[in-house]
Amino acid sequence: MMKRYECMQRLGAQLDDELVILSLGGAVDEWYNAAPHMREGSLFQQQLGCVTGEALGLAIGLPNRRIVSLDTDGGLLFDLGILATLGNEKPENLFVVVWDNESYQSIGGPKTHTASGTVNLAEIARGCGIEQAFVVRDLDEFEDHCRRGLGAKEPYVIVAKTDGILQPGISRKHSDGREDKYIFVRHVEKTEGVSIMGPSEHN
Amino acid sequence: MKKEAVDAVISGLKQAGVEVVCYLPDSLLKELYPALDADPDIRTVQVTNEGEGAAICGGVFLSGKRAALIMENSGLRASVEHLARLGLGAGIPVIMIMSHRGDLGENNWWAIPHGITMEPILDALRTPYRIVKQTDEISQAIQDSYTWSYNAYHHSAVVLSGGIVR
Repeated sequence: MMKRYECMQRLGAQLDDELVILSLGGAVDEWYNAAPHMREGSLFQQQLGCVTGEALGLAIGLPNRRIVSLDTDGGLLFDLGILATLGNEKPENLFVVVWDNESYQSIGGPKTHTASGTVNLAEIARGCGIEQAFVVRDLDEFEDHCRRGLGAKEPYVIVAKTDGILQPGISRKHSDGREDKYIFVRHVEKTEGVSIMGPSEHN
Repeated sequence: MKKEAVDAVISGLKQAGVEVVCYLPDSLLKELYPALDADPDIRTVQVTNEGEGAAICGGVFLSGKRAALIMENSGLRASVEHLARLGLGAGIPVIMIMSHRGDLGENNWWAIPHGITMEPILDALRTPYRIVKQTDEISQAIQDSYTWSYNAYHHSAVVLSGGIVR
């Protein structure tokens, strides 16, 4: 079984100017530590069922920028319809990694529907017309899929089967969702040369 | 929905700088959706539920472009979870335009809940709204909604009601 933290290190090593939207739970602290160079370019949120949707919105708004969604089995199961929308919209700049540890890790590890072995999120994605959708269980294969997914001109979904063990000894990120949003928005403003949260008018 | 009202919505969206519209089609605004799809300046995204639409609109906000979520007011119930997390949790605004199902005069029993729940849900989400009943008020209401949300960094809504949708 792969370790999510090691997967994140392999993915992070391939990232530079991409923008990342990520899910809630332990993955937040792990990503904060596994890819420290991506902190400003990552939106750390606690938003079950919003992650890949937000990433699609970002991908539509910034068609020349590669967007990475780091979703989870629990989060994607909450909002499966987004896969149908991805299948129809076919964004050319969106790479989705689903960390599938078959559990709701952030609340202590009760199982999700993928734990039964009968529910396959990559098959669901393929059924939505996302042809590049794969279950990955090997670290080197994961790295290879990341390389392909980051260069794909169509939506690319990896369901990464990982153990449910939180990386020990990592520091907690202690900013909240609002501070994280400002950090992310300022990074987008700086790198895209746009104003998103600008000054008020004086009148 | 008359053509003048459809034109007023699209005009208001353009005046507000909107380039992306997410929608789940409904009956009262049914003439609006094909008009949006046909407009070369607006990218439309049909979604599977309004919560997903709220999330996509939130992502568009983060890109620096402007989005709208258009739906029946029943869609508010489907999107409460997403709206609460985006708006109250992170200050990511979603601007909504919704039809007013269940208002006095409603002649469908199944639409009664939509009217009863709309305003309490908007209030629970601390989301200001304007109920518009005249076509000539639509465009300004939409522009005002964007102005408010881009200063508050929170959701707001325009409810299309009365003769606009009847």
